Amino acid sequence: MKESSTALPPGTTETYSGLHKWLQRGLFVCLAALVLEGSFTFPFLAAWYGWPTLSLVEMCSELQKVRYSDDTRECVFPYPLFAPAEAAAQKTAKDDWGVQPKPQYKRIGFRDLVKIHDERVARQAAANQERVQQ
Amino acid sequence: MNKKPIVDQDRRRKRALAAFQLLIYGYLFTMFLIQLYMYSVRDW
Amino acid sequence: MSILGLQGTFDTSSAYDGHDQKSRQAQRQADKWMLPGAVMMTTAILGPIGFPLFLKGVALQRKAAAAGLSVRPLICTLLGYLVIMDSGLNSIGWSLDLIAHHSLINRTLVTAWGNMFDAGYFWHYNELWIGGTGAPGEKSWEIALVPTVFCMRLAAAIGFLQMKRWGHQWLIVTCWFGVIYWVGYVANMTVFADLRYNHVVFPVLGWWIYDIFYITPFLAIPYLHTVNREIFTD
Repeated sequence: MKESSTALPPGTTETYSGLHKWLQRGLFVCLAALVLEGSFTFPFLAAWYGWPTLSLVEMCSELQKVRYSDDTRECVFPYPLFAPAEAAAQKTAKDDWGVQPKPQYKRIGFRDLVKIHDERVARQAAANQERVQQ
Repeated sequence: MNKKPIVDQDRRRKRALAAFQLLIYGYLFTMFLIQLYMYSVRDW
Repeated sequence: MSILGLQGTFDTSSAYDGHDQKSRQAQRQADKWMLPGAVMMTTAILGPIGFPLFLKGVALQRKAAAAGLSVRPLICTLLGYLVIMDSGLNSIGWSLDLIAHHSLINRTLVTAWGNMFDAGYFWHYNELWIGGTGAPGEKSWEIALVPTVFCMRLAAAIGFLQMKRWGHQWLIVTCWFGVIYWVGYVANMTVFADLRYNHVVFPVLGWWIYDIFYITPFLAIPYLHTVNREIFTD
């Protein structure tokens, strides 16, 4: 096999050396990005949605409350194995229905779930207080 | 070795691969622009 | 093979065998770190553990190459492990959605991901009888792709990393498969963009920046079609 004197990697001929060089760089970028995404996505999401102030179960409940616009929804954990889907008969979700449905739940900002959770707990505590006093 | 046919085939191969890259990234970019446009006119 | 011309043919072939064995050993050593590292990174949760393992493997391979051993070309290593990670990450994510939709992980972190980037994984999650995402077309993509193309890509990548001819051939086939699913999946997202992006934390840009790095099929295809096939063995 006639090889050029420059150190071309095995499999790369002179014609395609430029192409392979740039592909290698692109592949490296993708690999690095996937590695970083794979490693840091879950910790970042956990921090954004209120961990560790909220436990994972509390985070689950808060997300459900937002998703179905229903403050009474709670996350059942552990979910029974062969039970029906947890939101099977829900009626509270807000959507603009049509051939391209548009959800109407609120956007959740950085650690907003903690704020929402605390405000609701305070509201419920205040409501309980009033009931007790009456 | 007869150089000419190989060079020709390689040239055609390179052109085809370049055309494919343009096509696929062009498609993705178009979809991205469509989605950006939708984002700009609808209140997402 | 008259590199060491001093003694007879027997000795030069044993020198070649020695080199070959050392090369294989070095490659195996490097892969012993890279493969578990890559597998751990595809689980996302174990990513921070997998990353340093993987880098150690890459460092070992580069050291072996610098020492003159015949290890796999770096681009083949990159491509192979990238395809493993790409198909692994997709498979994990979608298998969780197909089977483990009521696990705590899915109901928190996966729906959280959905809320941040792609409401297909938040909107009406776990309302379908089959559980998981209820976005139009999404379940169908999962059922179609996970047992077919993602498994095939994983297998082809392993064969490719072993420098097998079938690995090279099947990686070509499955990467073209990848073109099909990219085209279809993005089209579906665009048609139902209202559902996928309304009120997510980072609409449009978030999903694209996150997912653009899964374009391995498009980078693999030019390499696989232009690499000299002689480097792959039966």
